[in-house]
Amino acid sequence: MLSKRVIVCLDVQGGRVVKGVKFRDLRDLGDAVEAAERYEREGADEIVFLDISASAEARATLLEVVRATAERLFIPLTVGGGVRSADDVARVLRAGADKVSLNTAAVERPGLISEAAERFGSQCVVVSIDAARSGDGWRVYTKGGRQPTDLDAVAWAARAVEIGAGELLVTSIDRDGVRAGYDLELTRAIADRVSVPVIASGGAGRAEHLVEALAAGADAALVAGIVHDGVVTVRDLKTALIAAGIPTRRTW
Amino acid sequence: MRVTLFDYGAGNIHSLAKAIARAGIQPTVEPDPLRALDTDLLVLPGVGAFAQAAGRIGPARDALRAAIEAGLPCLGICLGMQLLFDDSEEGGGPGLGVFSGRVTRLRATEVPQIGWNAIEPAGDRIFERVGLREAYYANSYVCRPVDERVVIGWSEHQGDRYPAAVRRDAVLGVQFHPEKSSEPGVRLIADYLGSVRR
Repeated sequence: MLSKRVIVCLDVQGGRVVKGVKFRDLRDLGDAVEAAERYEREGADEIVFLDISASAEARATLLEVVRATAERLFIPLTVGGGVRSADDVARVLRAGADKVSLNTAAVERPGLISEAAERFGSQCVVVSIDAARSGDGWRVYTKGGRQPTDLDAVAWAARAVEIGAGELLVTSIDRDGVRAGYDLELTRAIADRVSVPVIASGGAGRAEHLVEALAAGADAALVAGIVHDGVVTVRDLKTALIAAGIPTRRTW
Repeated sequence: MRVTLFDYGAGNIHSLAKAIARAGIQPTVEPDPLRALDTDLLVLPGVGAFAQAAGRIGPARDALRAAIEAGLPCLGICLGMQLLFDDSEEGGGPGLGVFSGRVTRLRATEVPQIGWNAIEPAGDRIFERVGLREAYYANSYVCRPVDERVVIGWSEHQGDRYPAAVRRDAVLGVQFHPEKSSEPGVRLIADYLGSVRR
């Protein structure tokens, strides 16, 4: 049986880890390569780098950071942010990433998902969905949570999987950085609809929040701020998952 | 000892090369299967599709098989393990046939299997020695050996039990990615390298 995963997300800008609240107010939290290595040692099951750089220069830096990280990291690495084409996907994978996460570009041109899946396999295509509550459902946002779209998050999730997404990273914009727990209804609604792994993201404040998300159907829970700030360690989180009877990787 | 990574030209073999280097040996990456044979340990990495890889091996298949049968140590990872078998449901030419059996699709609803799965050791102490209890998988197909005595560890995905690893003499095939299985995975590679070092 597959273990449930704890994934540490690093928002990266010019090689540094940064973190904001509700996608804003960025703070510097240290060197990305060192942070990734430290989280592997603490028991993280995967690392995600989200490039939030705006400029082309900073983007080129990201590939350098991916290369340097891949030399020292022996757990899977997903890279997202600014991936616009199948050639971008190729560059990121060649730099040493195991998976690529697609967000805005996939919404604007869903064909990118199938192109990437055909060329590199669904196992390395993660579609990242930023969603906020809207009426009875959730609306998809792009451009780092700034741009509302007409897409319903659950319908978009189903379509993304249909055309080749191997995993979905579902972030609640409402909960991001607030530490009041994941949006469990959103997690459950999407996990019930698709047959690929769902990564719950946005809102982790303490270990029980991860337990809740994994019980709600997520295959993995993504954390960022709480581990970067030292509120808890990855080891604390995994110890709590084990205590809650959730299948968890125990050795590292 | 010379270690050679056969590069089918498909995906990223960077991490695997780094994991081998961590074990103390800088591997050579060789895209030509016949030239890859001039080594002390051949590594078949785990990227791409069976048909494409079998096609790349095609012209050198008999020579590869003969060398492995004659005792050339060989480590097959994921797709590389599958290439050690007779053939695959995924299609394409014959595999190396070092192990008898077919490669078939996982009998599960969630395919590919992506993530960490537990390993149940079967008659080999390597997993205990290196402390590898869960390993990282990213695969849609698994090997079904005719003779299950070659299986040294099992894993299970949604009710389908399949070999995590097979071993015969100096040939080791692993379905998971040791180079993505954190320190215990890196130690498994080092342990195997140590066991075939001459």
